Amino acid sequence: MDALGQLLDGFGVALAPFNLALAFGGVLVGTIVGMLPGIGPINAIAVLIPITFAVRIPPESALILFAGIYYGAQYGNSISTILLNVPGDSASIATTFDGYAMTRAGRASTALATAGIASFVGGTLSVFGLVLLAPALARWAIRFGPAEYFALMIFAFAALSGLAGKAPRKALVATGLGLLLATVGLDPFSAVSRYTFGEIKLLDGLDFVVVTIGLFAVSEVLVLLEVSPAGQGAVVAVGRVMQSVRETFAARWSMVRGSVIGFLVGVLPGAGGTIAALLAYTSEKRLVDRRGTFGTGDIRGVAAPEAANNAAATGAMIPLLTLGVPGSGTTAVMLGALLGMNVKPGPLLIQNSPEVFWGLAASMYIGNVILLVLNLPLVGLFASMLRVPRWVLFPAVTALAFVSVYAVNASALDLVLMTGFGVLGYAMRKLGFPLAPLVLGLVLGPLAETNLRRSLALSGGDWSVLFSSPIAIGLWILAAACVVGPVLLGRRARVEHVLT
Amino acid sequence: MKRDDRIAGAAGLAGALAVGVEALSFRVDFLTDPLGPKALPLFAAALLGAGSLVVLARPEANPGWPAAGGRTRLAAAVASFLAYAALLFPLGFFLATGLEGVVLSRLFGGKLTHSALAGVAISAALFVVFGWALGIALPMGAVWQRFGG
Repeated sequence: MDALGQLLDGFGVALAPFNLALAFGGVLVGTIVGMLPGIGPINAIAVLIPITFAVRIPPESALILFAGIYYGAQYGNSISTILLNVPGDSASIATTFDGYAMTRAGRASTALATAGIASFVGGTLSVFGLVLLAPALARWAIRFGPAEYFALMIFAFAALSGLAGKAPRKALVATGLGLLLATVGLDPFSAVSRYTFGEIKLLDGLDFVVVTIGLFAVSEVLVLLEVSPAGQGAVVAVGRVMQSVRETFAARWSMVRGSVIGFLVGVLPGAGGTIAALLAYTSEKRLVDRRGTFGTGDIRGVAAPEAANNAAATGAMIPLLTLGVPGSGTTAVMLGALLGMNVKPGPLLIQNSPEVFWGLAASMYIGNVILLVLNLPLVGLFASMLRVPRWVLFPAVTALAFVSVYAVNASALDLVLMTGFGVLGYAMRKLGFPLAPLVLGLVLGPLAETNLRRSLALSGGDWSVLFSSPIAIGLWILAAACVVGPVLLGRRARVEHVLT
Repeated sequence: MKRDDRIAGAAGLAGALAVGVEALSFRVDFLTDPLGPKALPLFAAALLGAGSLVVLARPEANPGWPAAGGRTRLAAAVASFLAYAALLFPLGFFLATGLEGVVLSRLFGGKLTHSALAGVAISAALFVVFGWALGIALPMGAVWQRFGG
């Protein structure tokens, strides 16, 4: 089989010492940033982008690193969730219900072993899903013209705004803001300068790394500074995780079901790990919770969501790589990085840059094995990092963010812009405006504009070209459903939000 | 109280109007494409304006803003970020980053001696990793060059 041969080539790429080291480094960094509350994979990836540009590592290596951070973070997430009841990221919220209950019952080691193995099952099964589904999707999408692309991007915006939050109006504001920020600079078609206010440095547009680090990393530091410096949660002793591995066998089918749900949800734009994990948890509860033990420390209640959020992280790579349309803030940042390296994710990626796709797939398989090895015997070591004092950790993270913003253009103006976006991000977080639609608007805005203007240029200004193919019409209907659906299902959605 | 969402909505609306009006002035001397450079900014301004209008009309409750001590820490942090941007080139990377590290470490509750150590350690570590290992040209400090450096 052809795909098998290409996968073998992919292993050749992934097993090259440099890429293997990056996969190891990525999953290690991912586990740590996923575990530490306040630093997420999106911050880590945004901070590393200028560095990967500066040292000019090849795109497949950069993607192996970024993806490692992304799925590694899903493992790390569960550690602080289980030990401290503080999810490292919202994708582990569903794990608090049973994971922390197990810790309080003195079964932290079993909960950690379950989370580690479930993450491995979810991560590994979904890599198979990636290898099977992505090439098929790419073959289908190869017929897409500019009109279909434009409809697809509108669908991605609609999905992220419709599903992302409790307040779609606030997602709308964030999307509009992101699109506006995307227009800053010289218009590529007409060379008109838009919103540059006579500042020459703005003619190239806002660098999305500066915006992202400001919005996410700097605003996070501000949020963390709100709390009084005193008081840091006590970390429970981890216990012998390896000896608990056998117990997790009881939850094997929960892991498989969680993986399938997580993968499918992850492929959809806008849904992501949080929804995947909550959906896996609630459906598992409905299916197997006959004695009402969910919520009191049932290992199946840890296994299903932890498998799901890992599977979702892998699934989210599919629309990113095969369609060039990210479904979440983190994958939007990865898209920005790839575009900066002149790799254009889309249906032709697998054909034109097989080393990127198959190298990544193989590396994700290897990375999950590394994560399992790191997380079972060494989880106690990671947990001890939760004791690093805030007054070392957060200044170090902030200074790191500054260096990478500096590394983009060696410009002090970027540091000022970063601070401005940090304050904006802080205000948006506090007032409940989601940040992911803003990043999506910033990264996808120029692509959407180019495709729209190109298709209208080809049709001589006839707008009906946007609805001229069945695929485009289908995507428009899906986009409309994402906007109208939540309104119609509003009552039901409110019930779900009470649950969360 | 729902004041804060009203402020945010009003600010968003005002911003949308301002960028929308600005977009109307984008002129092209020759026809490049049927849509032109105005369309995306106008569409984005419309999204921003419509969303802001609904936020203004249906505000949510105010969030819990930090207490006085927290506000002071936030203001100090933002001021230190801007000071860093201003001082990075004159003082050089090592000193500016070290000072920023000390200030932030203090804000995160470190004792003076701890914070001083943290600042030096962070700055030195980043200098070694970025300046030497990764070969990124970090500013050495315009002030020092005057002393024949």
